[in-house]
Amino acid sequence: MVSLADVSPYEMIAFTGSRALEDNTIVFVGTGLPIIAAMHAQLTHAPNVNLIFESGSLASILDQGMPMSVGDTRCFRNAVFAKGLCAVFELTQRGYADYAFIGGAQIDMYGNVCSTYQGGSYLKPKVRFPGSGGAGAMAANCEKTIAIMALEKRRFIKQVDFITSIGFGDGSSDYREKAGVMGKGPYRVITNQALFGFDEETRRMMLLEYLPGKSPEAIQELVDFELLMAPQVREMAIPTEHDLMLLRTKCDPEGFFLGRKIVEQ
Amino acid sequence: MEKGVHSKIVSWSVLDKETVAKQKKRKTDFQYWGPTPKEARQVAAAKNKSLISKTMSIQQAVEKYVKDGMHIGFGGFVNTRVPTAILWHIIKKGVKDLTLTFTSHSICPEWIAGAMLVYPEHVSIKRVELAWWGYEIIGIAPLLRYLAANEMIEMDDYTNYGIAARFKAGAMGIPFIPVRENGGSDMELVNRGTMIQCPFSGENTYILPACNPDLGIVHVQAADKYGNARIFGPLCTCPEISQAAAHTILSCETIIDNTAIRRYPNLTEIPYLVVDAVCEQKFGSWPGAVYGEYWFDMKQFLNFRSLCEEFHKTGNKDKLKAYYDEYFFGCDTWDDLIAKILSPDQLVDLRKQDGGQPVILS
Repeated sequence: MVSLADVSPYEMIAFTGSRALEDNTIVFVGTGLPIIAAMHAQLTHAPNVNLIFESGSLASILDQGMPMSVGDTRCFRNAVFAKGLCAVFELTQRGYADYAFIGGAQIDMYGNVCSTYQGGSYLKPKVRFPGSGGAGAMAANCEKTIAIMALEKRRFIKQVDFITSIGFGDGSSDYREKAGVMGKGPYRVITNQALFGFDEETRRMMLLEYLPGKSPEAIQELVDFELLMAPQVREMAIPTEHDLMLLRTKCDPEGFFLGRKIVEQ
Repeated sequence: MEKGVHSKIVSWSVLDKETVAKQKKRKTDFQYWGPTPKEARQVAAAKNKSLISKTMSIQQAVEKYVKDGMHIGFGGFVNTRVPTAILWHIIKKGVKDLTLTFTSHSICPEWIAGAMLVYPEHVSIKRVELAWWGYEIIGIAPLLRYLAANEMIEMDDYTNYGIAARFKAGAMGIPFIPVRENGGSDMELVNRGTMIQCPFSGENTYILPACNPDLGIVHVQAADKYGNARIFGPLCTCPEISQAAAHTILSCETIIDNTAIRRYPNLTEIPYLVVDAVCEQKFGSWPGAVYGEYWFDMKQFLNFRSLCEEFHKTGNKDKLKAYYDEYFFGCDTWDDLIAKILSPDQLVDLRKQDGGQPVILS
């Protein structure tokens, strides 16, 4: 029996990410935890999950270890299709990518994500972030968006400084249609302490699961907007010994991502 | 052109009015930052289309094609197949008031930014059209942060697909391209694309202006002397940039025979017509990686980034300046630089770390 103390926050995120993926789907991944989550899913409940890397590969086999970059050689190893950015983003725009994994610095209750800047203004940002990268396009056109974030009050806020990646906008039912984007929008938000979904009616963020030992109230404390609570809000599943073995020896044997101590933006 | 069509972002955004007004003016007063699609066509139409050898040194190519005020598009993606050797020569030559366009990049824009900070009379960036500027797992880009916070460059934000699609439109000879993104995010308010009503479906559709840089700089595994190029692993946006740019400098690890190109014409990702200079350069993407050739030189990324980070924190330029003096202005050629930094054993090791990805050179 695995105790929670044996599981690192990143292992919790990767495992929860894996659980969010259905079999027979395409996952558009970024570097790090999304790859680990998708690899774990492939090794367990979803053997027919395949990956898209934005530099242009489809269904590669990560037999050389963890890619260090979404464009690196390892992302193309034994792929079935190797082209460039246009090819894979066009497959996505056409409707062939089921899940987007994105990150960011801030998220609001409608799943809009900021990864452009924080503080100051767009023209004179206090802290400028790298920018959208693929995230804006993935959040627009993958069928479902999964965001990975650290659960902190300064990140889960009422309105983000800049919407880099579209969620449900202002929450109105036709927001995404008027935006001209194709995917269904935010699906899950994964943190080390809680798993969130979105209410179908209001499109607002909803607590689905919380870390064993925490409570829904404790999670609400870490969020600056009012969370909806799922009718059957429950504790998050903890990885089994087998899951941990896979994560540590197959998915990220060098401990490059799972071994980190602090959460990066 | 602003047509008054927009998503609901206009009422939901928290951007200040001044920013929105200023950015809107960039749409209404739209100008291509570089050749217009028509101008790019005129350059293409005037070129010699015969199969002539275009081999020359990178230095010669840079002398010939790099000019102040020009718009350069970067091939490669983040740390992969990045055109560092060409860029190194551009920085050595010196060029001012650059416009840069790239999808996601790391050391290329940071190298130019560093040169601009230590030798502003020699190198300067005026504006950047980009999706992302950072080092992925290595960390954020300190010089981007510095330039942005101090309003030293004008920025135009897109997504990776947005930039790729803009190069693609440039490559297609069309003035704009519709995409299913940007709308509904703050990108709709700040970048130079615009929302229109699709004339066929009536749906809100975001359009992006074509991007035809003055100069594309691209590094590939192999090309013949005419410029027919093969790429293995990620194509990134190299075929699109090469075809969109008015001129393209192509460096390659190996020049291969034209009979090889003709044996497998399907493997040609960039046709000779769109290439103006072919420069054979081993390790032409170092410290980046080239599929089938060599892996990242992580130590070098970390070293340069640490100098930038120190400058960002302390404002002291001494170490950064010493880096440029030694590794840019203290070397005559790229081969000299590689020999100065890496031992033969280290080069062998970088090749080994690639894992022997299969490439076809015959």
